[in-house]
Amino acid sequence: MEDLLKPDFGVMILTICNFLLLVYLLKKFAWDSIIHALEKRETQIATDKQQAEQARQEAQKLQAELTEKLNRVADEAATKIAQAVKTGETQREQLLADAKAQAERLIVQAREQIEAEKNHALSQLRGEVVRTAVQAARRVVEQEINEESARATVERVLNEIKNK
Amino acid sequence: MNVADTIAHHILDHDWGLSLGGFRLPITTHSVTIFAVSVVLLVVLWWASRPHTSKSGRLVTTLLEEYVSFIRDGLVIPNMGAEGHGFLPYFCTLFLFILSVNLAGMIPEMKTATSNISVTAALALCSGGLILYSGLKYHGVIGFLKGFVPSGTPVWLVPLIFPLEVISTVIKVCVLAIRLFANMLSGHMVLICLLLIIFIVGKMSVVAGAGALFPAMGLEIFMTCLELLVAFLQAYVFTLLTAIFAGSVIHTH
Repeated sequence: MEDLLKPDFGVMILTICNFLLLVYLLKKFAWDSIIHALEKRETQIATDKQQAEQARQEAQKLQAELTEKLNRVADEAATKIAQAVKTGETQREQLLADAKAQAERLIVQAREQIEAEKNHALSQLRGEVVRTAVQAARRVVEQEINEESARATVERVLNEIKNK
Repeated sequence: MNVADTIAHHILDHDWGLSLGGFRLPITTHSVTIFAVSVVLLVVLWWASRPHTSKSGRLVTTLLEEYVSFIRDGLVIPNMGAEGHGFLPYFCTLFLFILSVNLAGMIPEMKTATSNISVTAALALCSGGLILYSGLKYHGVIGFLKGFVPSGTPVWLVPLIFPLEVISTVIKVCVLAIRLFANMLSGHMVLICLLLIIFIVGKMSVVAGAGALFPAMGLEIFMTCLELLVAFLQAYVFTLLTAIFAGSVIHTH
């Protein structure tokens, strides 16, 4: 059992040579190509990631620009709508004022016309009353004058006028 | 053959007794195992590193890339920094080599060469060489030697601290060898002892031996699983400590 801790220098040297040769050969035939492929893939991934990040930033920038533009357009639209509403309101008020003025004018005109018609009717009535009065007077004159007959005549004439 | 001899026969290296011109050739069971493992690793990794078009081939390549990535990002770069990048092939080989040699003992008729102090000492010497090379490469001879004296140490303490630090580094390298050797050896000793329980008890009474068969086999299976874990763990620890020691020489305090 004491041989367990007794070093065999031959095996030691052989192991060192074997291991270092293995390191060299694996470096030459395996690790270099694997490490190269790994680094290439990592570089590719890093580049892709960077490009994706760049694209994301550009997209964000574009989105911000579009949002700003959209907001501007919305503001403009709101301003124009407000302006249009204001214009519409002004026009409505103008139209209402015009309509009111015209209605008043028409009312005045109608009143004048009614007044004229009334005056005309009154003058016609006045003429008719005068003619009837004259006619009644003539009949009274033609009849024997007493109070009762005169009254009856006047009342008849007035009834005739009323019936007309 | 007593129990101790049986265990020693199972654990110890066996010289094949070959010589060339009177010079003894170190062809032993362990050195042959190491050579066989090296050849298998070389062939498999060479095949795996080639460009593949098949799905299984690409899977192997991806696994290998993941392995390299694990060694680089998990062991080398965190301990050695960017300077460790050039040593990546060494560490990739070291971990896989130790792991393969550890696991080779699980294959019937093969031995765990890492239960041989000469093998683990050889690996520790390689790691020691790497640590020395790292220090000399990045700091030069004077800078490397200065690294053994922590900054802020009073001048009168330097003659005391310097040899202590040098011895500490040498011990660290020796401990690398002893740790791996002891762990792999103890696992195998426990395995063989558990098997021997059956025969020892069976020698006393056949019935008792048969009764000891199942508990011993259960423990044997448990210990084999533990050995698998230890094989991975020790490969990892050896590689990690080499990276830490090399890193401490590159990035001196």
